[in-house]
Amino acid sequence: MTANLGINELTVEFESSGYMVRPLDGLTFYATDGELVVLLGPSGCGKTTLISCLAALLTPESGRVVFSGQTVNELKGAELALYRQRTVGVVFQAFNLIPSLSARSNVMVPLRLAGVSRAQARVRADALLDRVGLTERAHHRPAQLSGGQQQRVAIARALVQNPPLVVADEPTAHLDHIQVEGVLKLLRELAVPGRIVVVATHDDRVTHIADRVVELVPHFVNADRAPEDSTLEAGEVLFHQGERGELIYFIESGRLEVFRIRADGTEEHLAEVGAGNYVGELGPILNLPRSASVRAIENSNLTGYTVLTFRRQFPGAVPGNLSQRSAVP
Amino acid sequence: MLAVTFGDLLFRFRQFLIAIIGVTLVLALALLLSGLVSGFSTEVSQTVGGFGATTWVLSKAAGGRITAFVAFPESESLAIADESGVHDASPVLLIPSQVAHDGTTQLTVNLAGVVPGKLGDPTVTEGHGLNGPNQVVVDDRLGVAMGSTLVLGGHDLRVVGTVRDRTLLGGTPMVYASLTSAQAIVVHGQPLITAVVSRGSPAVLPAGFTTYTPEQVSATTLTQLQSAVSSIQNTRWLMWVLAALIVGALLYVAALERQQDFAVLKALGASSLALFGSLLLEAIIVTLVASVLAEIVANALTPFLFDQPVDIQPSAYATLPIIAIVVGALASLTALRRVVSADPAAAFG
Repeated sequence: MTANLGINELTVEFESSGYMVRPLDGLTFYATDGELVVLLGPSGCGKTTLISCLAALLTPESGRVVFSGQTVNELKGAELALYRQRTVGVVFQAFNLIPSLSARSNVMVPLRLAGVSRAQARVRADALLDRVGLTERAHHRPAQLSGGQQQRVAIARALVQNPPLVVADEPTAHLDHIQVEGVLKLLRELAVPGRIVVVATHDDRVTHIADRVVELVPHFVNADRAPEDSTLEAGEVLFHQGERGELIYFIESGRLEVFRIRADGTEEHLAEVGAGNYVGELGPILNLPRSASVRAIENSNLTGYTVLTFRRQFPGAVPGNLSQRSAVP
Repeated sequence: MLAVTFGDLLFRFRQFLIAIIGVTLVLALALLLSGLVSGFSTEVSQTVGGFGATTWVLSKAAGGRITAFVAFPESESLAIADESGVHDASPVLLIPSQVAHDGTTQLTVNLAGVVPGKLGDPTVTEGHGLNGPNQVVVDDRLGVAMGSTLVLGGHDLRVVGTVRDRTLLGGTPMVYASLTSAQAIVVHGQPLITAVVSRGSPAVLPAGFTTYTPEQVSATTLTQLQSAVSSIQNTRWLMWVLAALIVGALLYVAALERQQDFAVLKALGASSLALFGSLLLEAIIVTLVASVLAEIVANALTPFLFDQPVDIQPSAYATLPIIAIVVGALASLTALRRVVSADPAAAFG
């Protein structure tokens, strides 16, 4: 049986500290049988959110996750439980082994939950521990294993049902370089016909072993083009909270309001800025979505700069400080 | 989930051990309190039964209590003995008293004046029965040696025999003397008595008297301790609650610590029901082990803790594990919300 994965216009939104955040906004990509897919991006860009959707642990607001013809985000009840048990194997960033169980018992857990007999589960677990090179450590508890060994146990656990989809969230985050090498080699070996392996990471070195790299964040920092003039009428919104944008706006004339939308839909006023100030610098510089919305209080004229042109134009500007008046040329 | 359950029990062995010790002591105390309540009933039944009567005739004013000092003329016993249906009848004078021993020690007793050789005269376990003036037969709980002297109402009485399990109202020992001696001590020699014990029930009674079976006498006498029994019963309920709180607190803390484990297990396909079942099983194991240990501890402590009779009924031993299971099940509810609310997506941290 061949595996294929389709992510189509996937959007996930949730409340955080009283505000709505949208870590995934219309994401689309595809992966084919036997591929190792690397999801690349910095912290907070939605990697773990996407992995959670693939593992059917999180339901998106819109869009679809389709694996081998099955729409994952529409699964319910027994089908959902079966998908979690049989179709997807999850490797967690922090290993997430059950501390009270031995390495062998940890690997056996998914099988036992699926109703497989103890004897059969033990045989399967021992075979997988042998494959990840931990036969000698089968009876040790997680606290008695190194980080790399724990991650290999976690991988063995993810493979115990021989799932056609393996997802790994930052699998090398807590490992030293020797352990990283072993774990990546193992993940690479898992991507064989009949299976897709998806690895989320912020470490772009991992991309070298990937068949497909999905960058979750566009790179605005290196964009370099001429400034763009724009005009806003009173009440018109310059950009919305949660959007990604590559321009930093200098206010030539007029006044703008910076505000946030709370989770309950109400607005929270943050600041008013007038001519000679700039807004929207942190998102493009840090590769983050806009953390607030901006709209015109009165008719305003703006100039939009990419990060590179902004730095050239305003060398003394301090990002993140709205009250800091720029070095007006 | 059994592997997870037993793995967690071993992993948190010290926590569970502390809980087991706590619950064991609480359940042992509950068992002992149960024994105390039963002991009140048992001692009255044994002492009343020890008179050998099938019928007790008391003044109506006594309300069925043999320890209520409502005296009437001894001549009434002769009238009752003559009634048809009565095969044997004997007068008894029963009154709470203080006796002095070794010159200084004051002991509270229930003095029973009986006719030697007749109904009510106790069968001794050591020494001999009453066969002369100024003699007493005492319950061995009084702790006085054979041949020693007790002073009662200014009279010296020699201990000639002992009986066992003859106490009333929370372990107060019986002291048996001849009716003549008892009347001399208590009512200045007046021919007064407080009960007539008989075999067979009189067809007609003199005015102002009522007959009781030994069971009725026991039950009504026991009502004197109703307040104490009720207090002990309430305390026993508190013990069950305390046991549930100990196990509940243990499970709640364990559930808090295992929140991430629950999320991971759910992500691996475990249901909330299976996870709750695991905690329920842990609670039941803790309380069951504690209940078995409590039965051993209660037995071991009884002779050292209480002077009064403690009679832990076989039914109390049998029901303790069942109550323990219920307590464990109730305690596990404290962790239910933690299990149900565990979000499998939280497994990603």
